[in-house]
Amino acid sequence: MTTTRRDLFKFAGGAAVGALLSPAPWRLITDTALWSENWPGIPRPARGEISAKFTNCTLCPAGCAVKARCVGAQPVSLAGVAGHPMSRGALCPFGIAGHHLPYHPERLRSGPVQRVAEEVARAMAARQTSEYVAVFDPRPGRTASWTYRRALHAIPGGLYIRPAAPWSGAAVNLDAARIVVSFGMPLLDGWGTPGNVVAAREHFRLIQVEAVESRTAAMADLWLPVRPGQERALAAALAGGTAEGTGIAQELVRQVAGELATNGPALVLGPADWPEIAELNRQCGAAGRTIVARRETPVPEAWQPGAAETGWSAVEDGSLRVLLIDEGAGGGDYVPWSTIERKLAPGAAVVAFTGTPEGYARHANYALPVAVYPEAVDDIPAAVDSPVAVFRLSASLVAPPEGLVSATDFVSHLAGIDAAAALRERADAICAAGRGRVFQTASGAVTALKEMKPDDFWKALSEGGCWLDEPDPKAPPPELSTGAAGFTASFAIAETRGAGLVSPLLSKLHEESHLRLGKHEVALHPSSGFRDGDRAALETGCGRILVVVRRDSSVPPGVVQAAAGADLIDLCGAAESARVVRL
Amino acid sequence: MGKIWLVAGLAAGLGAGWVAFPYAIYQRRPQPVDFSHKVHAEKAGQKCEDCHSLREDGSFAGIPGLDKCAGCHAAPMGTTVAEKNFIEQYVTPNRQPQWMDYARQPENVWFSHATHVKLGGMKCEACHGDMGSSDGLRVYQQDRISGYSRDIFERPARLVSLRRTGGMKMDDCVDCHRRNAMEQSCLDCHK
Repeated sequence: MTTTRRDLFKFAGGAAVGALLSPAPWRLITDTALWSENWPGIPRPARGEISAKFTNCTLCPAGCAVKARCVGAQPVSLAGVAGHPMSRGALCPFGIAGHHLPYHPERLRSGPVQRVAEEVARAMAARQTSEYVAVFDPRPGRTASWTYRRALHAIPGGLYIRPAAPWSGAAVNLDAARIVVSFGMPLLDGWGTPGNVVAAREHFRLIQVEAVESRTAAMADLWLPVRPGQERALAAALAGGTAEGTGIAQELVRQVAGELATNGPALVLGPADWPEIAELNRQCGAAGRTIVARRETPVPEAWQPGAAETGWSAVEDGSLRVLLIDEGAGGGDYVPWSTIERKLAPGAAVVAFTGTPEGYARHANYALPVAVYPEAVDDIPAAVDSPVAVFRLSASLVAPPEGLVSATDFVSHLAGIDAAAALRERADAICAAGRGRVFQTASGAVTALKEMKPDDFWKALSEGGCWLDEPDPKAPPPELSTGAAGFTASFAIAETRGAGLVSPLLSKLHEESHLRLGKHEVALHPSSGFRDGDRAALETGCGRILVVVRRDSSVPPGVVQAAAGADLIDLCGAAESARVVRL
Repeated sequence: MGKIWLVAGLAAGLGAGWVAFPYAIYQRRPQPVDFSHKVHAEKAGQKCEDCHSLREDGSFAGIPGLDKCAGCHAAPMGTTVAEKNFIEQYVTPNRQPQWMDYARQPENVWFSHATHVKLGGMKCEACHGDMGSSDGLRVYQQDRISGYSRDIFERPARLVSLRRTGGMKMDDCVDCHRRNAMEQSCLDCHK
């Protein structure tokens, strides 16, 4: 018997059919898929004891208390802390996914630290007497802010710059409000402390004045769809003027004004530099009732006096020789680059301390990487809706990688001051003041500060605790002064977040589900003639960027709704109007 | 003649797929200690939760550490070779046995024993089979490609089986939740 090639083929064919009728190929498919989950480079959470650690979120000024479930030393999930007097157990979607940020693929991890130090030293040496060495602190009120002020006080020509302060020394007491009129503020979508706002929401009537039906407008008791650019006119109408041209009927305006006068205590929220908002609050007696004076968290006497706080409007054009921007503390106000650029001297050294290549890193000469939440140890000043001063720390839950820089260390080194123990020094100063109470996250207990020793207080803070000041009964009602009023744009920015890392998983969920506008997406009324997915250019007086159009019947005709990021704020933040051009 | 080759190939393929492959895919390793659940349950009167306990926070302690074993076996309680070896090799030098966990889930799975046992009222046997009455520990079989224990795919009752016996894959979890009309979503297990 001879074996032919045809026989071998038949054997192979039979074997192949036999194998296909067995579990082997299907199991190999499963195994290969599972094997791919263990490829090198795929993060693997550590095994170990399961424990809970407590901290406070630094992603926005709310500073919500956080309980981290850790496996070994690795946080694997974050949740709110029940019973917390301000955050009240809530944590927003950004906070829930905060532990993803150290592993963000776009995170900055290295930078030319030595070269930047030399460059800044050269620029400081070359400074003219009329020029400044400035630090821009988008998130003032922190202990780090005081370190900058101390350092800049010691540096010749030092200048501390902060964003415009709404009603300096005052805060909103939502619990006292029975009617709230909001001019475009995202009250139910990221404004203030989410848990506190939601808890207070049961007790007040909300009237939202906004050109587009935002999420806050959709959940308000009454939405006034004002004509874009006429918000200030409507505020003036509520204060006693005419509603003509605002798109809202005079009778309805009269009715809302009547509610403000009779159904108080009332509160009117809006951009801090609109005199109409201050006037409305004055008329309805908000000062001292729903807008209350708030003391600053105590600081050590040795730190005083620091450099004065300066707003961008007070900085002379072309006067900054060195500008150091602390963008590491997330959730700060992003000032459009065009506002900053004109303040720079020719050839100025600009350094951004940041965790992201977006934001000011796009414009600075150098970007140096900093620790991100929850790596960084920092304190979080009181949010706008906290009637009393607070002091809480963000503990480090994840060890930061090598090669990062601390902006405060960099600046204090320039001035030759030692600020390594600044947080502890401030905690001791609070303890010495002896007022207020301390919420301890692990036990939920509230203890009077005067009953605690400094070491115990520091331990409580390090474990996520929160010090709350007591109200000052002698404090006079705050003055609702306003600065120079700006313009009102005829387009709407949907999200007010500036630059900052956001969990990729969160972005995917929100953007692919169309819950929020994605990056570089704009929404237009169907009558605009665009189709869903059309590519277009968004143009303002500051430039243009390419966008994708989404049709949305809730956006009024003639209005562009854009999802903000740092580049969109740069484009739109200083522009009165925008247009979308078909490509 | 040609049909014989075809049938022979078919038989070889079936044999390889049903017998040789399931044998070859697993790496076999003995457990470090010859442990008898049966002896501990019957002679010492112990229950599952005496050693495989839930912590105060509800998390599952898993396989007990040496401290738990040494509490009773600091000195021999019987005359078996297995106990003598265990004391000499682990208890006396205070060396933890490197147990291989038949039910180890992958890193991306969060499973709560407390939820299933206390709230759901499930018996240990529903997932782990008759482990509690076994007289010795099975050889640990690890998939050479995926690295998973064989128990995740099926309980190894026999080498060749037309019907799966047990298993702890995601499909098994979903099937059980559906059968019992329980809620299920991705984030329940994949935190």
